Amino acid sequence: MTEMNFFGHRPPGIATDALPGRLIVVEATDAAGRSTHIGLLKEWLEDEGYAVMDTGLRRSDLAGPGIQQAKEGHILDPITLNLFYATDLWDRIERRILPGLRAGMVVIADRYVFSLLARAAVRGVSQKWLEDVYGFALIPDRVIYLDIDVEHLVPRVLVTQGFDYWESGQDFLRGHDMFQNFVTYQRLLLAEFRRLADRYEFAVVDARGTAAEIFRALKEEVGEVVRGMPLDNPVTGVVLEPPDLGIGAFGSEGLGDRNGTANGGPADDQPSERSALGGSSQRR
Amino acid sequence: MRELDLPGKLFIVEGIDGSGKSTQLDLLHKWLISEGYLVVATEWNSASIVKQTTRRGKKRRLLTPMSFSLIHSADFASRTYQQILPALRGGAVVLADRYVYTAFARDAVRGVNREWLRDLYSFAVRPSLAFYFDVPLAEAITRIRGGRAQLKYYEAGLDLGLATDPEVSFARFQGLIREEYERLVEEFGLIRMDATQTLIRQQRLMREIVRPHLSDIVKVTTGEVREALASEDLLGRYLEPASRVSL
Repeated sequence: MTEMNFFGHRPPGIATDALPGRLIVVEATDAAGRSTHIGLLKEWLEDEGYAVMDTGLRRSDLAGPGIQQAKEGHILDPITLNLFYATDLWDRIERRILPGLRAGMVVIADRYVFSLLARAAVRGVSQKWLEDVYGFALIPDRVIYLDIDVEHLVPRVLVTQGFDYWESGQDFLRGHDMFQNFVTYQRLLLAEFRRLADRYEFAVVDARGTAAEIFRALKEEVGEVVRGMPLDNPVTGVVLEPPDLGIGAFGSEGLGDRNGTANGGPADDQPSERSALGGSSQRR
Repeated sequence: MRELDLPGKLFIVEGIDGSGKSTQLDLLHKWLISEGYLVVATEWNSASIVKQTTRRGKKRRLLTPMSFSLIHSADFASRTYQQILPALRGGAVVLADRYVYTAFARDAVRGVNREWLRDLYSFAVRPSLAFYFDVPLAEAITRIRGGRAQLKYYEAGLDLGLATDPEVSFARFQGLIREEYERLVEEFGLIRMDATQTLIRQQRLMREIVRPHLSDIVKVTTGEVREALASEDLLGRYLEPASRVSL
């Protein structure tokens, strides 16, 4: 169960009941292997029979395109940029993460509030203020941190996307030595991540090893969190089951029968699709 | 909010729709310019970089109380750092049509935690003067009915589910906002203006209150280009539009 606990005040329109899914956050700096391992985890969890959803920064319908545009123009002050990211995160919590958890899914978040806190801290934004603002964030079941150092990071960045403007702190560091800026920026950022790891009790996984070693450690962490979740997921069950096309199947009783809740009486302890998805985030 | 010692002054107006606050601010703006002061005006929900997202959210009805609140705070932050702070540092009068109190009132009506809202907007500069235009609800509704097209979804507060009819919903929504404003007048010591008074009387009072705050404001020198043109017998055909304004 994911308890409906928030870092701060519970946002309006959000029910208080615990949700059957699990929220797992993977945090790390860029090029530490985050997306690779999330891809592997997703496949593994699905093979094990779990329904998985993944979500990441800037993927909201509402604010994703706007942030992308703003970043390309490099014209935002850090406060506005953070509030943009906060809008993006909340939109995803409300429209993706909560409904996913309500439907009993394992939701993997590719970065969450912690990356945003770390980046902002490095740029001198008040941590107290940001933590207040991000009080709306649902507390995850586990935060896994892929721990890496700059020495291991540099070669990985060079073989993949190369030095990125933002990931080199070019928006606030002086000079045009991108290598030096990258090293300086990542050192500051990683120090912030470690501070957050202590404060929020991250599960720290050493990301300097081989992919196989890292994945084994991740599987162990994630395995602990998902243990005990019902595998015959009610949502997948209902979707895959061929509908009973007999007469009356679409009547009110037919629907009730199929979910084992004839005439209001709960016939078994398996939650119906209705209760699993009931009243998702759309309008609450 | 931040108490900053800056050379400029920030005057803001608040009030429900139809309170006449924008009209009064507009009159004040024209007067300040005619007196030669450097004036910068800023409007709620107008930052170019955030506007598209807000529009997208409204159009597709993606906005919920929290995302509505957050995206408006992003707009406000952008204007704070791009317009308001630089202008105050440059010694200008900044006129803001709606300020943080609009968010405090509206978002609280939508159920957002009041304490969180104050934290959210703690980066805002505390205004030098904050006017609240107090108008009875019925009067405001009558004024709006005259001059406004169809009410929009969020404008009417239809997302709150107060009523299905936009007009009815709007009236209830504005009534609730008005109640919130009453709390804010207390909490932040907003200057209550009687918005049922004549335009002229309100404006006279507003200028009286504003005048003592103008001593350090930068004055704009106008007419220099005009003098140059006159003495040289030129028309200024090729001048940029911006410099023609100061003629």
